[in-house]
Amino acid sequence: MQGEKNKEWNIPRGLLFDSSDCWLKITEETVVGLTDYGQSNIGDIIYLDFVPAGTVVRRGDRCGSIESGKWVGSLLAPISGIIVETNSEAKADPHKVNTDPFGDGWLYRMEPADRKEITHLMNLDAYKAWIQERISGKAKDAEIL
Amino acid sequence: MYHLGPVDWVESQSIYHALALLNREGLIICYPTTPYVCLGLHDDLEYEIDQFYCRNVGIPLLRRETGGGVVYLDSRQIFFQLVIRQNNPLLPLRRQNFYEKFLEPAISLYRKLGLAAELKFPADIVGGGKKYSGNGSGDIGRCTAYVGNILLDFDFVTMSRVLKVPDEDYRRNLYRAMRANILTLADCLPCPVEYSLLAEGLLTGFTKQLGNLFPRSVDDELCATARQVGRRLTSREWLEMPGRKSALRKVKITEGLYLQAQERAVQNCPAVLVREGVAEAMTADL
Repeated sequence: MQGEKNKEWNIPRGLLFDSSDCWLKITEETVVGLTDYGQSNIGDIIYLDFVPAGTVVRRGDRCGSIESGKWVGSLLAPISGIIVETNSEAKADPHKVNTDPFGDGWLYRMEPADRKEITHLMNLDAYKAWIQERISGKAKDAEIL
Repeated sequence: MYHLGPVDWVESQSIYHALALLNREGLIICYPTTPYVCLGLHDDLEYEIDQFYCRNVGIPLLRRETGGGVVYLDSRQIFFQLVIRQNNPLLPLRRQNFYEKFLEPAISLYRKLGLAAELKFPADIVGGGKKYSGNGSGDIGRCTAYVGNILLDFDFVTMSRVLKVPDEDYRRNLYRAMRANILTLADCLPCPVEYSLLAEGLLTGFTKQLGNLFPRSVDDELCATARQVGRRLTSREWLEMPGRKSALRKVKITEGLYLQAQERAVQNCPAVLVREGVAEAMTADL
């Protein structure tokens, strides 16, 4: 996917981002994945799990979990909606999320419930700034677009 | 700092979960008074555990919200559990990088006891190529909990019995593989070590790492939350949550070492030890 490099992380254009390092591609439906920066922080992913397709989630709800290096964490919904499909290939081979986070390593598709929630997400420049803030230890809550 | 000593088996897990859910930071040192089997968040109950055996001998089950695999826990271990807020600058963005800091007090303690010890990525403490302890972590609420233990002694027989295996040959090999690759303090030291000495050693180490630790007791809010969490961690629905499985039975012995069942026995061996991706011959002595 075309984009620009921010240090060693690929951050493609045309996406929105949240403070849990999720990317969203919003067209007819919404595809959600982990950013390159996000997968890099998590490390080698050895297990992925998702809530079932059809689950209704609110923004911030747990919609899956992830394991790496004996650490486990939750995948949190960046916006509210219905999970319509989860990536079974990534679940079978979670390393795809590390090697191709913006392509084959997508996590799930969802039908957004409230398009207004998009205002909580970050554009590319805001996400780059968010990464820099975290790296310099001055993170704060995500800015509105 | 919660220096709790002996606690109920559920509390040995539920208190740190409760601390995290209450968004409180803290260090807990404790051990369970009675044994239990503890599944990692992503373990599959049906795949991993011989529930019939556990039920028959009265070994209860609990699923924790941290990583790592199935463990048999009893009073011959000492637990150290650190709950830290995710926005604490001490916590690196890459969670795995905190294991070095978190496990340093335990590693120093092993060394003070005269034992070689070091961290094996990501979270094992090893000495002389064998494992002293396995540790893990998990994001719970807005905190991350790091959990570790020191084995004073270990019931390898029961550990090999609680795990579901394809046949008794596999179980025998499992027991041997664990015995050959995991070390307890009882294996290494001429005399038993008192819990109090170990606890003091850990507290000294954590004080060095984290600064002054103020003793606290379990207050009513923490107690009530722990009780509620404990009910969830032991509920049938939570225990039966599906998890990871493989087509052929595979048990992790230590980091990078697995006992893998084979579809067809090779040289009369229905299972093979795989170390860092390379199969090893199974001998009588292992």
